[in-house]
Amino acid sequence: MTKTPQNGNVDPKITKALQEIVGETNATDKIHIRYAYSYDLSFVERKSPDYVAMPTTVEQIQKIMKFANQEKIPVIPYTAGTNIGGLCIPEDGGILLDLKQMNKILTINDQLHYAVIEPGVSHAQFAHSLAKYGFRWSWPVGPPSASVSSNALCHGIGGMSGRYGLNSEEITSMEVVLPTGELVRVGSCAIQEDSWHSCLPLPRMDGLFTGWLGTTGVVTKIGLRVHPMPPYLKVFTTSAENLGDMASYCRTIGNYEICDDITTVSWWLSQVPIPYPYKPKPEDAPEWVSFATTFSWTEKERDAREEIWQMAMEEEKKKGTTVKEAVYPEEALKARTQLPSRIVGSTKNYTKQAGGGISWPGTFTPLDKWEPVYNEWKKILTNRNLSPSVRATNYRGVHYGMLRAMIPFPKKDPDAVENARQGIVECLQVVLDNGGIPYKPPVDFGVEINKRAHPGYLSLMKQIKNMLDPNDIMNRGKLGV
Amino acid sequence: MKWNIPSLEELEDKIWRCTACGNCKVAYDFGPPPFFGQICPAGVEFGFEGNIASKGKVAFARGIINGDLEWNEDLLNDVYKCTVCAGCQEQCELDHKPFIPEIIESMRRKAVDEGVGPMPAQKVIAKSMRSFDNPYQGPRRMRTDWTRPFKKAKAPIKDIMKEDAPILYYVGCTGALNVPVRNLPVATASIFQKLGLDFGILGENEVCCGSTAMRIGDHEEFKRVAEHNLRLFKDLHDNHGVNTIVTSCAGCYRAIKKDYKLSEEYDELMDGIQVIHTVELLYNFFKEGKMKFTKELPWKVTYHDPCHTGRHLSEFEIDEDGSEAWQGAYLRKKDDNCLFDIPREMLQSIPDIDFREMERIRNNSYCCGGGGGVMTGYPDWAAKNASLRIEEGESTGAEQMVSICPFCHYNLNQGAKRVKSPMRLYDLVELLDMAL
Ligand SMILES: Cc1cc2nc3c(=O)[nH]c(=O)nc-3n(C[C@H](O)[C@H](O)[C@H](O)COP(=O)(O)OP(=O)(O)OC[C@H]3O[C@@H](n4cnc5c(N)ncnc54)[C@H](O)[C@@H]3O)c2cc1C
Ligand code: SF4
Ligand code: SF4
Repeated sequence: MTKTPQNGNVDPKITKALQEIVGETNATDKIHIRYAYSYDLSFVERKSPDYVAMPTTVEQIQKIMKFANQEKIPVIPYTAGTNIGGLCIPEDGGILLDLKQMNKILTINDQLHYAVIEPGVSHAQFAHSLAKYGFRWSWPVGPPSASVSSNALCHGIGGMSGRYGLNSEEITSMEVVLPTGELVRVGSCAIQEDSWHSCLPLPRMDGLFTGWLGTTGVVTKIGLRVHPMPPYLKVFTTSAENLGDMASYCRTIGNYEICDDITTVSWWLSQVPIPYPYKPKPEDAPEWVSFATTFSWTEKERDAREEIWQMAMEEEKKKGTTVKEAVYPEEALKARTQLPSRIVGSTKNYTKQAGGGISWPGTFTPLDKWEPVYNEWKKILTNRNLSPSVRATNYRGVHYGMLRAMIPFPKKDPDAVENARQGIVECLQVVLDNGGIPYKPPVDFGVEINKRAHPGYLSLMKQIKNMLDPNDIMNRGKLGV
Repeated sequence: MKWNIPSLEELEDKIWRCTACGNCKVAYDFGPPPFFGQICPAGVEFGFEGNIASKGKVAFARGIINGDLEWNEDLLNDVYKCTVCAGCQEQCELDHKPFIPEIIESMRRKAVDEGVGPMPAQKVIAKSMRSFDNPYQGPRRMRTDWTRPFKKAKAPIKDIMKEDAPILYYVGCTGALNVPVRNLPVATASIFQKLGLDFGILGENEVCCGSTAMRIGDHEEFKRVAEHNLRLFKDLHDNHGVNTIVTSCAGCYRAIKKDYKLSEEYDELMDGIQVIHTVELLYNFFKEGKMKFTKELPWKVTYHDPCHTGRHLSEFEIDEDGSEAWQGAYLRKKDDNCLFDIPREMLQSIPDIDFREMERIRNNSYCCGGGGGVMTGYPDWAAKNASLRIEEGESTGAEQMVSICPFCHYNLNQGAKRVKSPMRLYDLVELLDMAL
């Protein structure tokens, strides 16, 4: 375990300058405060920021960025640090910019179905406010205290991604402070101050800030589509003996685009909690169980959706696959349908048995690659005495999806952490070689991605980064370039 | 006497079970409708991750155990700037959940053992405990000052050491010595007399329950008074007919019901004695139809749940031997002992009362800000936090706030003064006494 750098690295003049910007109580270089930002639940090694600043206004962020840019000090945007990829762990010290105090919900437009929020708004806060309008959002299974905007910026996924795609596809407009301190806007709000409905039809520049892991700017306001909440929920649950059969079912039901979420999980992930260390599956248990959620406005609509689902099941039966109607474990189902939820979801299910740590090879991988990749993953993970606790989901119909293994480990045991890290990176190599794309990638993943990337892609990425962040101060080192 | 009070090192396994997920940072219920609210007073005031909730406290604990963090004034302050309200414990779902207040307090115990804790202002408590057996530097004879009106009215209260009684009214230091809340023991004794209960007090012989000492990490002082009290209670049971101890202070209640159980001799010494909060006792009478409210009280009232009579009394089922899940895992939580419903039901039974709930209630109640030694250690912040709660109460349109803890009562009053709020604080027994 590495030691936190003592205050030797810290320059009190910088602390003072930050305090002058955000107020004395909102910036610090105290070791124990920095320590609390030095780790997350992932395998990523602990490293401390040198300073922590909690701005409360856009102007303060601009001043910090100008100052940091001039002094060439790294800045790490942070909202809750729950990304599971060590994305807010400073690679090179610097100023941790804790944005949680900027937590206003600025607009909920109930005519045009969008909301404009600040970065510190949590899923819990958003759920509370949206419910008053009968709206919902594509809630992740993650902690309710995590930030909605960070989730969208990192291509987060939630309970409606099967229908609407990634949460980043729900962004309508953004306000961003660039690493140089300039304030920019992308989307409709760039043309009219109070118009936040769309990123279209101008050249889409939202991509300069989504998926960049806080390395291109600090988003200070974000517009997001929200959706009305239909009253009838119907969940279809099935099982299959292998992922090939299950993928076939997911594709068939996905064809009809009637589901908000179609997810399948391996036996190990359907356990609450995930077995740690690896435990063999009982012979008589199916290896895969799935749920498909549908929401309807009327009972008739719900019944019609059921009819379509029956049709899909008939198609699968004709193919002679092992897919059949099944019971999905109750608590695991709640964890995925009652969102956001601290009770049934998130870390309890994942890490309870191992203790404190979790990481994943999280990837966007199309349905046709699920089975071959999973078979490799299973070998890699079980050889390391880890459960192949895998989730696969298709998004926006069928054309792409997610494949990820949730790997818990005991955080206090460095050897066990390293074992998990190695296993996860090996899994990632397999999926990258099969065309999968990692999301929220820790630096270890970034390195693997870049090894395989088209030289033109890497060069363009560097050029853009250089243009936006000439002194490479934003979340330095996170892209593994 | 042998005590099972865990050290920080003994909790190491629990400390490593935290995932840093941050669920503990806000109150959240799925619903419908979903509910969100701030839950951590320290987080609201100080804001950095280390200051917020158990996530932050666990980070400090890890650093201290690892040797990565060494005591200094700043770290100490942040370890002590926590009201130990258990709001964060309520939200967490991992297996160290039942031990979260213990993790926080064990850091303080370590600080005290290593000669750096408690904080300077809190050292007064420790000194006062040693000199006066109470945290208020109150001379022992002051403990009976509140009984004067009863003597005057020729309805004196029994000294239980001299006259036997089945019920010991354990007044607690705050009610007896903190002048602004003295109405509490007065109302309690008044109701007891109206109900014709045979009860007595320890008067000058009452010794602090040790709650505050425990909360600030002074476990030696806690043990000293707790051992004294446990032996005294046994003596009262064996020789003076006591079978019920009634406390009107949430701190005493929590200490005797929960902290004293850390003694290996608890079951033996407390055999035949029940510990009960005043409102529970009165509720039993009320339910049996022996307590009837005859007067109307046309007040707009809201209710503040004290942490110590609420979520601190949650009971956890832990799989100690690994037969259900694995060793040491937290399986379930039971809130049967939490006094959430009783005070509300009694309040609403008062004729003509207009009862209004705040947003954050019951398990998700927002701490008054006075617990965990904060009222002594950081009085300005304690009052500032209380004013947030007062404002929440005001937003319901209520004109009075009622609670069942003299600590909350005192601190919320300070909060009301701070923001010049017309909100008045009452203990539930005061209202019940008025309505009888
Ligand atoms: C148990 C568990 C389950 C989870 N399940 C899901 C899930 O189902 N789906 C899912 O999508 N995620 C999931 N997550 C991941 C995570 O909770 C979400 O992605 C979350 O929304 C991230 O929010 P955060 O506030 O923690 O972001 P942080 O971790 O604080 O930040 C994430 C990244 O965004 C950058 N950033 C933060 N704020 C800004 C800003 N204003 N401008 C620019 N960059 C910024 C940071 O530098 C960092 O790179 C899960 C996490 C856990 C612990
Ligand atoms: S204490 Fe519990 S809720 Fe808080 S961060 Fe740790 S595991 Fe999560
Ligand atoms: S016990 Fe209360 S004050 Fe202390 S960290 Fe938890 S929520 Fe905050």
